[in-house]
Amino acid sequence: MTTTAAYDEVFTDVAIVGSGGAGLMAVLHAHAADPDLDITVISKGAVGRSGCTRMVQGGYNAVLSPMDSIANHFDDTLDGGKYLNNQDLAWTLVNDAPKVIHELETKVGCFFDRADDGTIKQKAFAGQSFDRTVHRGDLTGIEIMARLRDQMFRVRPRELEDVRGLDLIRAADGSVAGLTCLNIKNGKFVVVRARVVVIATGGAATMYKIAAPSREKTGDGVAMCVRAGLAVRDMEMMQFHPTGLLVGKARMTGAVLEEGLRGAGAHLLNAHGERYMTKYDPVRMERSTRDVVSRSSYMEIMAGRGTDMGGVLIDISHLGSAEVEKRFPGMVARTRQIGSDLATGPVEVSPTAHFHMGGAIIDPDCRTAVEGLLVAGEDAGGVHGANRLGGNGVAESTVFGCRAGDTAAVVARTREHPEIDIADVERAMAIAAAPLDRPEGILPFELTTRLKNVMWEHCGVVRNAEGLAAAIREIDTLEEQLALVSVPGPAAFNPAWNEALDLQNQLSVAKIIVRTAALRTETRGAHARSDFPERDDSEWLKYLVATQTVDGSIDITERPVEFSRSARPAPEEAEVEQP
Amino acid sequence: MPKEAGAPTGRLQVRIKRSAEESQERFEVERFPAMTVLDVLLAVQREHDPSIGFRFSCRVAMCGTCTLRVDGRSVLACQALVQDHAREIEIAPMAGYPVVRDLVVDMAPFWEQWSRITPYLDPKESLDEPAVVRPDSEEREAIDPSLDCIQCGACYSSCGVSGQHKTFLGPAALTRAMVLINDSRDAAGRTRLDVVSGQDGADRCHLIYGCTGVCPKGLDPARAIRRVRTGRVEDR
Repeated sequence: MTTTAAYDEVFTDVAIVGSGGAGLMAVLHAHAADPDLDITVISKGAVGRSGCTRMVQGGYNAVLSPMDSIANHFDDTLDGGKYLNNQDLAWTLVNDAPKVIHELETKVGCFFDRADDGTIKQKAFAGQSFDRTVHRGDLTGIEIMARLRDQMFRVRPRELEDVRGLDLIRAADGSVAGLTCLNIKNGKFVVVRARVVVIATGGAATMYKIAAPSREKTGDGVAMCVRAGLAVRDMEMMQFHPTGLLVGKARMTGAVLEEGLRGAGAHLLNAHGERYMTKYDPVRMERSTRDVVSRSSYMEIMAGRGTDMGGVLIDISHLGSAEVEKRFPGMVARTRQIGSDLATGPVEVSPTAHFHMGGAIIDPDCRTAVEGLLVAGEDAGGVHGANRLGGNGVAESTVFGCRAGDTAAVVARTREHPEIDIADVERAMAIAAAPLDRPEGILPFELTTRLKNVMWEHCGVVRNAEGLAAAIREIDTLEEQLALVSVPGPAAFNPAWNEALDLQNQLSVAKIIVRTAALRTETRGAHARSDFPERDDSEWLKYLVATQTVDGSIDITERPVEFSRSARPAPEEAEVEQP
Repeated sequence: MPKEAGAPTGRLQVRIKRSAEESQERFEVERFPAMTVLDVLLAVQREHDPSIGFRFSCRVAMCGTCTLRVDGRSVLACQALVQDHAREIEIAPMAGYPVVRDLVVDMAPFWEQWSRITPYLDPKESLDEPAVVRPDSEEREAIDPSLDCIQCGACYSSCGVSGQHKTFLGPAALTRAMVLINDSRDAAGRTRLDVVSGQDGADRCHLIYGCTGVCPKGLDPARAIRRVRTGRVEDR
């Protein structure tokens, strides 16, 4: 074996995998709770700069005004989530969000946009009963992540930058003992031995042909949890943001034009120039929730009323170009780069895979069923139910990042470094090294493209039984072909090798997404079935819990939603005409 | 939607500086509308050499990790369009940083300078609540044009002084210092003023405006450096 002969070993108290909003807030809180802790941040990309919190545009939902209320934010979150949410997690989100905004402003050093009177300004987002979205221009993530990155110079955790987590290491008693990693920069393996591991890597939406997230988001955290036998929930719930840019073959395709455009009154038009939301949600129109708007766009496109490139149009130019440039400078720049102009006319957009509501099962303190293992942010499931509200994403990652840090500090003091079985570690490294060690075979790129195509076509905005069965077959085939992947050297900073490792994680997640999607025979939130177009509250106020067994097969069980903090929803009319 | 009419088509010659090669390597890729240098690199990776080393993350000019030089100019690969008239482009790693592999550089020198100005807010004890600061205040008018730095390092790569004097704080760190020095929520302004007025600070700047010329976010670090010389709004 060429690559696994040697590895570096790191002992730490708390290992945090991921350096976005959840990961770095966890660092701050673990350090604040116990400054003597040895904290290690493991980041696949650049610390504080890779990942999706950095890409947040619109902003952060928090109740700050006395005219608003926590109960309102909670109701909006459940209503948006179509009542599939874990209510204790959703309650935690809305309660903690104002505290975390407070902390970001008074401790972390963020400065959000101000109203004329000098207080924090809040803007309109879709699906909300009150304008509660805190922001910094239309590129809010830069302010949050750059300031969190600055905080790392105060706290000084050990930064393992360009180091990707591979698999969790379990001790003989089943608790977590650390994780195996690959140092991308030099191609060497690293075994991180930790008392507590926090998984905060972000979601898996990149497995779709048209997708919004940054490159790193290949489901690494959820895949690690799944392979370690942890239960995951709501995996069929993949959010499509309604306004992803369409730029042909360019990598920019799928990048989001922010939600605030719809909040500010942007129109969505089909190729005939009709405001089609009048048909699908005449009350909320373009300010309806993302699931409804994406599905409406999709049905216009499928009905032959889309543009030549297979999209629809967003138009906010009626506000006047000066106003659009002032309020949305980042979005205007983004469209001008591709030869169109949001300030003066319509821009071609499509639904784009954006955010995974599904993920590991946690409690409000981010604990999982495995002792010593915490999960925070997009890697966890249940907060958003069947659909996430715009502005609740960065709120989730920072709120639960704080909680994971608090919990980690407590748990770290109750645990020693468990003994590990070196054979387990070597097996994980051998699997990871296989594409590089295999003398010949196929490159991963073609397989990734096939995955993105099948997920888009058969497990996308609208699904059906036949398509999902085809998707299950194709993903099983891709998993077999993964065993044939071979990439040329060197081991150091090798993007092709990393693509192969990404693909492995994407497949671990995808095979659960397609199977849970096939089981949910109704339409709810982000999960729309053309063969079961109605939301069925009598049968389906249940969430699906999946676990991977030792032989690699997937076990799925149904559990009823617990209405611990709200009444069951009143029967309501179908929001969308039948697909 | 990129305009189809007159859209550049045909082949593009690409020369890439590789760390393992003495000279550049040449590739040829098919052009398409709205093609960025990042798209060029992805095409080279998929069609010619899967092992080529380069870095990117967000592809929408927010992460600041794909900085490199195209025909000598420091740019974000995701933001730099292949120009209509270009038949050939030359891609090289940023200047002034150690090369890790191919187009990937070690940003340690950037962060070393960044950390010297105490880049994080040192909140005043009285800061219990989010500060009330009017958007038209002198403080915000000094700060706001200098926000949105993405720490991409392009300004260092194109700064003659940073290139020659490794101890120069440089455009990005001085800009960040200016922001914090004028931030009325911060308690460490005087310490920072000492650092920026020291021998590695603002006075080293020769006002060549290389930084301002390349900043992919349209910031004006040279102006921020002039501003930092005038001290704090609070002290006036």
